[in-house]
Amino acid sequence: MAGRLEPHLEALRRELRAPDPAVLSVLLALLAVAITLLIWRFVQGRRSSRQAVLLLGLCDAGKTLLFARLLTGKYRDTQTSITDSSAVYRVSNDKSANVTLIDLPGHESLRLQFLERFKAAARAIVFVVDSVAFQREVKDVAEFLYQVLVDSTVLKNAPALLIACNKQDVTMAKSAKLIQHQLEKELNTLRVTRSAAPTSLDGSATGGPAQLGKKGKDFDFSQLPMKVEFVECSARGSKGEEGDADFEGLEKWLAKIA
Amino acid sequence: MRPAAQGGGLDHFWGSRGDGDDGRGGNNSFTHEALTLKYKLDNQFELVFVVGFQKILTLTYVDKLIDDVHKEFRDKYRNEFQQKGTLGLLNGTFDFKDDFMRLLRDAEESSKVRAPTVMKTFEQSLKSQKTVKCMIETRGEKPKEKVKNKKNKGSKKEGTEAVVAPGKASAGDKQLSTAGDREELTKDEILQKNREEFFKRHMKAGEKSSKSPKPEAQKEKGKKPRVWDLGNSNAKVLDYSNSATNGSAEACPVEEFDPDTALGDRNREPGRLYDLEYESDDEAEEEKVIQNPSKPSAKKGGLGGMFGMLKGLVGSKSLTREDMDPVLEKMKDHLIAKNVAAEIAVQLCESVAKKLEGKVMGTFTTVTSTVKQALQEALVQILQPQRRVDVLRDVMDAQRHHRPYVVTFCGVNGVGKSTNLAKISFWLIENGFSVLIAACDTFRAGAVEQLRTHTRRLNTLHPPESHGGRTMVQLYEKGYGKDAAGIAMEAISYARNQGFDVVLVDTAGRMQDNAPLMTALAKLIAVNAPDLVLFVGEALVGNEAVDQLVKFNKALADHSMAQTPRLIDGIVLTKFDTIDDKVGAAISMTYITSKPIVFVGTGQTYCDLRSLNAKAVVAALMKA
Repeated sequence: MAGRLEPHLEALRRELRAPDPAVLSVLLALLAVAITLLIWRFVQGRRSSRQAVLLLGLCDAGKTLLFARLLTGKYRDTQTSITDSSAVYRVSNDKSANVTLIDLPGHESLRLQFLERFKAAARAIVFVVDSVAFQREVKDVAEFLYQVLVDSTVLKNAPALLIACNKQDVTMAKSAKLIQHQLEKELNTLRVTRSAAPTSLDGSATGGPAQLGKKGKDFDFSQLPMKVEFVECSARGSKGEEGDADFEGLEKWLAKIA
Repeated sequence: MRPAAQGGGLDHFWGSRGDGDDGRGGNNSFTHEALTLKYKLDNQFELVFVVGFQKILTLTYVDKLIDDVHKEFRDKYRNEFQQKGTLGLLNGTFDFKDDFMRLLRDAEESSKVRAPTVMKTFEQSLKSQKTVKCMIETRGEKPKEKVKNKKNKGSKKEGTEAVVAPGKASAGDKQLSTAGDREELTKDEILQKNREEFFKRHMKAGEKSSKSPKPEAQKEKGKKPRVWDLGNSNAKVLDYSNSATNGSAEACPVEEFDPDTALGDRNREPGRLYDLEYESDDEAEEEKVIQNPSKPSAKKGGLGGMFGMLKGLVGSKSLTREDMDPVLEKMKDHLIAKNVAAEIAVQLCESVAKKLEGKVMGTFTTVTSTVKQALQEALVQILQPQRRVDVLRDVMDAQRHHRPYVVTFCGVNGVGKSTNLAKISFWLIENGFSVLIAACDTFRAGAVEQLRTHTRRLNTLHPPESHGGRTMVQLYEKGYGKDAAGIAMEAISYARNQGFDVVLVDTAGRMQDNAPLMTALAKLIAVNAPDLVLFVGEALVGNEAVDQLVKFNKALADHSMAQTPRLIDGIVLTKFDTIDDKVGAAISMTYITSKPIVFVGTGQTYCDLRSLNAKAVVAALMKA
């Protein structure tokens, strides 16, 4: 075996020893290309690995303020967003892990469009709920949450979901427990009405493939493929605009998923 | 998003405009309660500037102010926008308040200094204007242009006065407005004087061309042709009337035919000529306007072509209106070809242009693709429902409260109201709700029989035995020639007593121009307060869609006694199977009402009821 290879090796050695720059340069070039490809692959892979945390919710839930508080710690007066804003968020624990926070507009004519654009990159979703106006908005909240949950991309990637019950500094705010209960009830109803809705134009039934939770059972969040947590927070903070926000729960959760 | 000008109601502005420009951005102002909001977009840096002021004030300087603020703000923070990301914007302090106040104060101060003199000349000019006008009218010519100008001026003045009178409430605004008006006027005067000079020079040079548009413009507006018999002299007649204000009012135009003297007059007394100058100004402006567009096009023709294309391909550059115009034109035609109402196609393209103007394009994107992308987004956004419509959910709610859920169908003749009503009742029955059909079409022969046939068929499909002995669908009819509103009301109370879940009210088809019938419909809706008012429109409709919906909505608004009138809540789009990919009607209808398309009828059987898929429709629309 070795004897048979001997002449070939000898030839190769001779070839390499020969002062022929052509072979060497070709080899070098090939090597360079290979390395470039590897690096590119790596970068590409990193980019597609989901790094974003989406802030979703209805208008006036407090997404933008939460976004500002998380990034700068300061209070800011905000206006209704008309476009997304994103920034790198360094999680508070010692791990040097970063996530990209993306604040999406909550207006009903915009939110689905922006969700469409960013859903593939979502590593986690923070669904912000206005706990004060929850009773009034429960149907809309549930509808938007339903749309997020039955989205095929979201179902496939199963990003961690945190439902942040914001505005807990207000006295009349509903507790996270109550909100969870109400949402489950509402989603259960929605599941029924949606599956009964007329099929959409291109033939794909709206409720068909994306069945929420387990069939034949009342819906609850534990049936979902992703992990759902509820947390109470207050982006404004109990000490008013000068003080800090109260969202340790949210920060901890972000540190956990990063 | 940043405080260009503070004012309440901003949230409502955003709230109801969606993103300030959701494809409906025809004009850039918006009224909310007592406030008028004007906005301006800077697409390059993604800024929005909004000015809010009391609606009753007719502030003429707002546009200028917003431009000034825009320029100043952009220049001041240009670097911040370009270099820093979101974090920078969040951390950065955009303390523009002082600058903004300075801009306002500057205007105030300067106007205060100038105020007395300005007012004087203004009043003078107004007076002189009047005399001139009278004279001209006695001469027999009636240049309406002039009258209009005067009216404008008068109203302007009234505006300022009005501001002063009730203005005790908001001092800042008041001052602002008066100051602004004054400043405007002075600027106008200066401009006018400059233009006078320019015009005079032209006249002196003896150019017929500069004169000729004048008489033409006046001829169009003149009421009494008698005067024009005098020949070319019209322009000069005007001049003379002006000089006549100085001297004798009786001056004969024929005598003072010489243009040079007229010019001399003007030179001597610019203050009085002012009003007359208005005409010449306007004409000069008109000329300029006419000349202007020709210039860029000529330039483009010469250099544009290849160079522009290369430049468009390589490197990032900001989009200009000229770049987009040809593409937009093509898009507009495409949309119209897809049966979007022409008016709406124009508005859509306009808003897309506004959205994109000044935006920096990425490398390797062409103008066409950028515009297409933006248009597609706008279309999806239009089709996105502005209001949650989940009929089943609401029916469930009503059921819990033990009251029937009432749906009224309206629309023009022959669009398929009864047919789609039957389809919807089938869908409701399938979902376990009992339906009462109120036959309020008491006009068309066979309308009741049609519904009776449907009822019978639906009852055979869903016999009471399979629903626990409950009759799932029943017809409530009172024959022909009765009052529809009354029948609907009886039907609703009958449904309440008998425990029906849903009442579907079928109304007679009516043309949107038929005033008595529209009144009757408005009455039916006002009296019975249905939970859902559905407009049934056929997908075949083209430009007519606009008219139909606007007039139906208007009729409902006009004849309702309530504070917030009941309008159309949703749309049923019928005959969708007949139109192939010409789906423009969907866009037209949602654009006008900003109400969702709740159901789509796609065929002859009870099952041919669909919901709209915005993406599919937009894809069909954009398909070449």
